[in-house]
Parts: sequence; structure tokens; C-alpha cells
Amino acid sequence: MNTINAILVQSHPLEGWFFGSGKALVVLAVALILLIGFGLWMWRAEARLKKMEAKLNQKTSRES
Amino acid sequence: MAHNVWKIGGFALITYVLVMVFVVPMGPGLLELRSTEGTFISEEMERPIPEYFLTGFATHWNEAPDQLSVIVRSQSNLVQLQVIEVLDDTHARIGVSLPYSLPSKSWDVLINHPVDGTLLLENGLFLSDRFIDESLALPALAIEEFAADLPFHFPYQPRILETIRNLMLHVPMWFTMFVLMGIAFVASIKQLATSRSMVEDEKAEASVKAGLLFGILGLITCSVWARFTWGAWWVDDPQLNGALVTVLVYSGYIVLRNSIDNAPLRARLSAVYNLFAFIILIILLMVLPRFTESLHPGKGGNPGFNSYDLDSALRAAFYPAVIGWILIGIWMYRVNLRFTRLNKLLK
Repeated sequence: MNTINAILVQSHPLEGWFFGSGKALVVLAVALILLIGFGLWMWRAEARLKKMEAKLNQKTSRES
Repeated sequence: MAHNVWKIGGFALITYVLVMVFVVPMGPGLLELRSTEGTFISEEMERPIPEYFLTGFATHWNEAPDQLSVIVRSQSNLVQLQVIEVLDDTHARIGVSLPYSLPSKSWDVLINHPVDGTLLLENGLFLSDRFIDESLALPALAIEEFAADLPFHFPYQPRILETIRNLMLHVPMWFTMFVLMGIAFVASIKQLATSRSMVEDEKAEASVKAGLLFGILGLITCSVWARFTWGAWWVDDPQLNGALVTVLVYSGYIVLRNSIDNAPLRARLSAVYNLFAFIILIILLMVLPRFTESLHPGKGGNPGFNSYDLDSALRAAFYPAVIGWILIGIWMYRVNLRFTRLNKLLK
């Protein structure tokens, strides 16, 4: 019976635990938060760049 | 808003892919049939039978333990084995009562189960202590193949197992890098054709920087995957080494740009360098690994995942992943380009 237990333990317990216990959903939630956060950061960065480009264009047109 | 749809679409696709990666279950498979070194005495047979331990992966044997049937096969010879006990969904004790004289030492293991369908473990049973007579034919046994009765799942792959999910994160990185380096390649050609303007040079620089990020992410996901499937963080493989060299070559592009102060000279020299870098990328990642021995799937004679994925389950997540990552990559390139231009104007 000891041999059976040894084989049971070694047959990929980590993956089984990861998906069986629901921890995969926690990782999914963290990954989605990071992805959405990155998307929002990109959106804001682009909006700021647009504003700065507009200001700079105004400035150069006034100077010319 | 309409011109931003593709950006939202890119992130929506990756959100869908991430949900698929972490939620879709794996299909069933067989891991091993191993001797317990013990024996089992059944009521029907007086002599002890060698006991083996069968391990499945994502199987559902407990749902119908009485209907689990285990067969070993060598060419046209089939032998039914005795299921002593189903311990849980993925483990069962099996009695291997094969005659002393056999046509082969090596046998495939087949499982029939109403939920998991018919599963195969090639060369799963090796009997070294038997007399082998290749002309021997065992009594015929009729078996029927079962179709799996399972919800949508990713296909089981020996050795890769759960890490097949990494396909949606690793391969699209290289596709995105290819697209971005392709944009940089075209921009460099245009830069050499119209050497007075710096517009194309800025495009090439922004595109290479974004592409390089995806290349580094591709190397990281590659290394993690290699650790699980091949047992090492890095192996001496033409595909892996080629990918690393490509990333280093493009890092050299950034170094070259930063080492030249004269803008027109920098634009011309880096455009020429970029042309060679893209050709090296094609040779090292697309051509060379196909002509040499490689562990990498789809290279050096190894089949890609598409040949195993008969029900196309992976495609439902893989294609959106490729499109999504490419859209995000192009957005990153565009933001980087605008930032570079603005930075230059402010300077």
C-alpha cells in the first residue's frame, strides 16, 4: 500500500490542486486586473499625448 | 469612438483568452501503468496475479467505476486486464494476467470508459521477464471504441499536460514580434528611400522597441515552459538559441541608435542594420530550426499542436489570442511613436 501512496502523491499534485481548489480563478482575477489596468494606463497615456500634441501645435502656429 | 474599437477589441479578446486559459478543463489521458511489485489473488484464479497501478490524468473513473475497461494491445493482439479496484477518478489497481509466452515485450494500454471515451498510452506496459515468440497469436478479442462524453476541453498532451494553456501566451508573443519587426522593416526601407525625412526612422525605432518587449516576454514564457516539459530553464536547441540571438540582435539596434549623435547618419545606419536584423529573424526563427533537429513543436520534424488537436479546441482560444496580442502590440507601437515624436519636438 505504501507504493500506491507514493505513486498517488507524485502524479502531478500541484496542477491538480491549482485547478481543483479554485486558486486558478484567483490567478485569473489578478491577471485580468493587471490587463485592464494596463489598458486604462495606455488609454490615459494616449489621451495625455493628444492634449500635449494639441498644445504644442497651438504654440507653433501662434509663433509662426 | 469608432477609431478606438480595435483597441478595445484587442483587450476584449485577451480578456476572453485569459478566461479560457484558466477556466476550460483539460481532456482526459493516461499517465502510466506501473507495477506495485505486489500480487493479487482473485476468487476466480487461484494463482496470484501481478498488481499494477494505473494513473490517469483528468479522468472520471469514479463516475462509472464498474464500466472501466483496461486492454493491452500489441499489433493485432488484444488482452483484457482485470480492474481490481477504482481508487478515485484518476487511480485504479489493475491485475495483469498475461501468459508467459507473448508475441511482444511492449504493449499499448487502452482504456474504455463511458465518460472519458477510449484513451491510449503507447508502450505503456513493458514486460521484460516473458518468453517472446513473434509468431504467436493470442485469442481474438472484440472491443468497441467509446466516444468521450465531456464538455468543451483542451486536448491532453503527454508531458505537456496543463501547460498546454501556455500556448495562448507564448506563441502569440512571437507572432506580435514578427508583425512589429515587419513594420520596422518596411519603415527602414522607406527611410533609406527618402533619407531626408526622419518620420520613417521614428516609426522603425518605436516598432522595434515594442517588438523587443514581446520578444523578451516570448523568451520568458519559453523558459518557464521548457522547465516543465524538458526539465531545464534553457536547452541547447536551435529554436530557443535562435530566438535569443534574434532578441540580442534587436537589442544591438537600440545600442547602435544610442551610440550615434548625428541624426541623419543614425537614421541611415540603423535602417541598414534593421534590414539585416529582420533577415536574421526570418532565418533563425523560421528557416534554420526546420532543417535541424529540434525539441520545439512544429520544428525539426516535430509535429505542431494542430496535428493532435482533432476537435480544434485550442484554435478557439489560440486565434483570438494571436489577434488580440497583435492589436495590443500595434497600439503600444503607436503610443510609443507619438511619445517619441513629442519628446523630440519638446527637445
